[in-house]
Amino acid sequence: MEQSGEYRILTKREDVWASLNDPEVLAKCIDGCQSMQRREDGSFLAAVKARVGPIRATFKANLRLVDLNPPASYVIHADVNGGAVGFAKGSAKVFLEEDGAATLLRYEISARVGGKLAQLGARLVDGAARKMAADFFAAFRLEFASPASAGGLSH
Amino acid sequence: MDEERSSMKLHITVNGADRRLEAPPNTLLVDLLRRQLGLTGTHVGCDTCQCGACTVHLDGRAVKACALLAVQADGHAVTTIEGVGSAQQLHPMQEAFRDCHALQCGFCTPGMIMAAIDLVEHGVPLSNRAVREGLEGNICRCTGYHNIVKAVLQGQKAMAAADDKQGAV
Amino acid sequence: MSSATGIGASVKRREDVRFLTGTATYTDDLNLPGQVYGVFLRSPHPRAALGEIDVSKALKADGVLAVFTGQDTAADGLGDLPCGWLVKSKDGSDMVSAPHPPLAVTQVNYVGEPYGLVVAETLAAARAGAELVVTDFTELPPVMDLATAADAAPIHEGLANNLAYDWALGDAAATDAALAKADHVTKLSLTNNRLIPNAMEPRAALGKFDPASGNYELHTTSQNPHLERLVLSAFVQIAPEHKLKIIAPDVGGGFGSKIFVYAEETAVIWAAAKLGRPIKWTADRSESFLADAHGRDHVTSAELGLDERGRFTALRVRTTANLGAYLSLFSSAVPTYLYGTLLAGQYKTPNIHVETKGVYTNTSSVDAYRGAGRPEATFVVERLVETAARELGWDPAELRRLNMIQPEDFPYETPVALVYDTGNYQASLERALELADYAGFAKRREAAAVEGKLRGLGFSCYIEACGLAPSQLAIQLGAGVGLYESGEVRVNPTGSVTVFTGSHSHGQGHETTFAQVVSDKLGVPFDDVEVVHGDTGRVEFGLGTYGSRSLAVGGSALIRASEKIIAKGRRIAAHRMQTEVENVAFEDGAFISGNQRMTLQEAAFASYVPADYPPDLEPGLSEKAFYDPQNFTYPAGAHIAEVEIDKETGVVRLVKFVAVDDFGAVVNPMIVDGQVHGGVAQGAGQALLEHGIYDGDGQLVTGSYMDYCMPRADDLPDFVVDTTVTPCTHNPLGAKGCGEAGAIGSPAAIINAVTDALGVQDIAMPATSEQVWRCLKEAEASEGC
Repeated sequence: MEQSGEYRILTKREDVWASLNDPEVLAKCIDGCQSMQRREDGSFLAAVKARVGPIRATFKANLRLVDLNPPASYVIHADVNGGAVGFAKGSAKVFLEEDGAATLLRYEISARVGGKLAQLGARLVDGAARKMAADFFAAFRLEFASPASAGGLSH
Repeated sequence: MDEERSSMKLHITVNGADRRLEAPPNTLLVDLLRRQLGLTGTHVGCDTCQCGACTVHLDGRAVKACALLAVQADGHAVTTIEGVGSAQQLHPMQEAFRDCHALQCGFCTPGMIMAAIDLVEHGVPLSNRAVREGLEGNICRCTGYHNIVKAVLQGQKAMAAADDKQGAV
Repeated sequence: MSSATGIGASVKRREDVRFLTGTATYTDDLNLPGQVYGVFLRSPHPRAALGEIDVSKALKADGVLAVFTGQDTAADGLGDLPCGWLVKSKDGSDMVSAPHPPLAVTQVNYVGEPYGLVVAETLAAARAGAELVVTDFTELPPVMDLATAADAAPIHEGLANNLAYDWALGDAAATDAALAKADHVTKLSLTNNRLIPNAMEPRAALGKFDPASGNYELHTTSQNPHLERLVLSAFVQIAPEHKLKIIAPDVGGGFGSKIFVYAEETAVIWAAAKLGRPIKWTADRSESFLADAHGRDHVTSAELGLDERGRFTALRVRTTANLGAYLSLFSSAVPTYLYGTLLAGQYKTPNIHVETKGVYTNTSSVDAYRGAGRPEATFVVERLVETAARELGWDPAELRRLNMIQPEDFPYETPVALVYDTGNYQASLERALELADYAGFAKRREAAAVEGKLRGLGFSCYIEACGLAPSQLAIQLGAGVGLYESGEVRVNPTGSVTVFTGSHSHGQGHETTFAQVVSDKLGVPFDDVEVVHGDTGRVEFGLGTYGSRSLAVGGSALIRASEKIIAKGRRIAAHRMQTEVENVAFEDGAFISGNQRMTLQEAAFASYVPADYPPDLEPGLSEKAFYDPQNFTYPAGAHIAEVEIDKETGVVRLVKFVAVDDFGAVVNPMIVDGQVHGGVAQGAGQALLEHGIYDGDGQLVTGSYMDYCMPRADDLPDFVVDTTVTPCTHNPLGAKGCGEAGAIGSPAAIINAVTDALGVQDIAMPATSEQVWRCLKEAEASEGC
């Protein structure tokens, strides 16, 4: 599965970068996120309750940030384990570009799923991932929301 | 266990008999029928509500018992294949299935008969095409449906004849 | 005895009543005191090294009793699941068989492969327990592409590559030479799509061990319980045969998928003994998709040479067959001896050469599925013949007639190792043409065109080798067992008859047809004959039901046993009548000499109450027979499909399907028609709807009825079926077998019709509406519309 998207956030790049590295912010923005911890090696451990078509489960995600190039880009490697319902693995390249006072956020995701997720949900994973990304950035936008900038996310 | 504590009381008419039952709230109707009541004529052929082997009647209409929670049948009447006819007295639809060789391994048969009876009782007068479309929710891997369609059309006639006879009495 | 219940009568099935009233007993309907439930741990990866399996949390969970892994079965000395047919490569070397432990020990090799079994007091607890097992997998790159799999890095440690065998049959040099000289060569590259059998009853097992006696009892969904007992005893070493009872009660369809001895059933009976509690496991459909043996999955290139008069001169076939990750029980034989040997079809092609590479991939095993090799062979031959006719401007029926083996040619020895005993192929074809109203097709095509529809017609004149099999030949070709069948006829003291057969019925209606055969042969009322099958504790031995063999082999065994009954009865009667045995005839259920008459029932009574009885004869009237066929049987026929395609949507509607088959003598025409209907429906599924697809990452993406498209009632038309009869020459019933014909003949007929409608040389199976729509769009584009 390959997906990409672009958002314009009416906040300066350093702030966006900081938020993207803040487990608390990330946890708040991920729908169904039950916990998010930063581990000693810098990776994050998250528990997320999510639903893909007929499958509902608590997924344990191990997120590693690599190729850090603050505040311009990084890559998130995700290793998501859903126990008996299968797994997902993928990476998201995230790029931040200055656009005047705002920031242009681009991402490119490539992911694959396995086990029951692939067997029953393969057709639905793409849509589910798209929705999760949209929900994430909608929530992420609100982190910077002042009444004036609330409309600042364009997609 | 938690399940025990959270069991729900159910009152369901099963094949004409009043049953007072208890089951955890996540129990599927098909599991209640098969495991708790021993009505093993209702079969489970898939886990995505698509094969129709578990078809039963809820208040006279065909439903997939794997797609209903047992609690959804609370206060309702459920009829399974065991309540349709007996070895001594087959239902006209059962008789038609036998007469037309509309079954082979028999696994889909109970669900198929429950669907067929509902189709006849609540459908428009049936044609070959209408039967085929009406049975779209029931998979048979053995018969190629040819004889099932024939049986449903013959069963429809037999059910009408039985109704006439009953009306005349 | 010809009667309303004898051979040739469409007797209503006696097994139906229990199925119709919901009182049949399938494995999952059974429960035993103290029974607990098993749930398998399955790999989510197509290939991975198995690291630590942490079961500690699972073991602490409510209701969980045990978690068994491959380490446990290995430590207990459980043997591997064997492949029962040794195929040799063309260089004479044995096939390379990868070890197949019942539960994976060090590496998993397909998505869904079981590597552990969680046992708990309830099913819910077992499922919850399975969720708590934490398994450390190290993913390894999977081999998924069939065409390149052979030379890819080996998926199994210790193997040089992924080639299980490189088999060949026929005269390569003569075939090459004939093709070089041919006036025309038709070439096709064909894919035979992977199918998932999908018997409606998922597999299940209920295993029990009695420590007091040391007896094991396994109720399971098997087409051949005795064969399963043999394998579990001799190879897996669960228990010696006399301590192991296997019962296959009512079984909801098999189509080949329940022949094989699987990991799950094996693990269940083993674990039941370890735990000391009966264990039940029933597959859910998702598990069936992953872990039942799949079918077909070939890529093939084929060339047919013709001379200037349209005669076939040579056929060269190169096939790569997917065997999956492990060699299942009969898998090696399917794309070789059940495939290559059938490539002569109904024709006098003098030179044939076939090569099959059997390869390992990281997918579920591929083994026999309804037709097993013969649908693939028919598809190659009949697609080539139809294509050749189109290329050369022949009427496809005429080109077939010209090349058919003629009735006077039998017995006919093909260039690919078979001797056809009898047949009349043209008779089937002519009858099919008549029933299909071939003459009127052009008009129907025009009428469809007016409606904006594309109409096409396609043929398939198939042959199959059934009635598996002459044991000597089969063993010579690599079979690990003989392929005879056993039967026993017991005449009870009061004259009723109990029949025991090693064949297993899971939809075929043996309880009816076998009773017809014995009642007819012995002249006893049909209702007085009971048929027992599927229980190793009651039936002496058996090789089971597959390859359309039950009547031709199992039925013949019952004829032989009945003949022994009659022979003994004649001696009893001769003694009573004070005459010589030679003077006693047997007619309509009675022994007759002059004006003396003794019924079989009277003879039976005399045998059990031997008051006035031949002194040199044992009491009792019960006889057994093992019947070993002298040859395969060769059912054949002509199938004609007519389709109509909606140009806008690409939807293919199968509007007419005619099947005229020669099954030899028929015992119950009603049941035979039903077998053809079902087979054709599965063939239509293959041609138009069904496809087992693994994605490039090794995940099965058609793993449920949401994505694997099963034929439903509104996908199919009524079928037109008829039979022509040339009795089999070498079995006492003259029967050939009918179970697989529909699935063997129909895919080629339907694809020939679809390509006819579309005016293209080929379209891949399944010809779904999407495929057809794309094909139409491509055609439009290339014509510049």
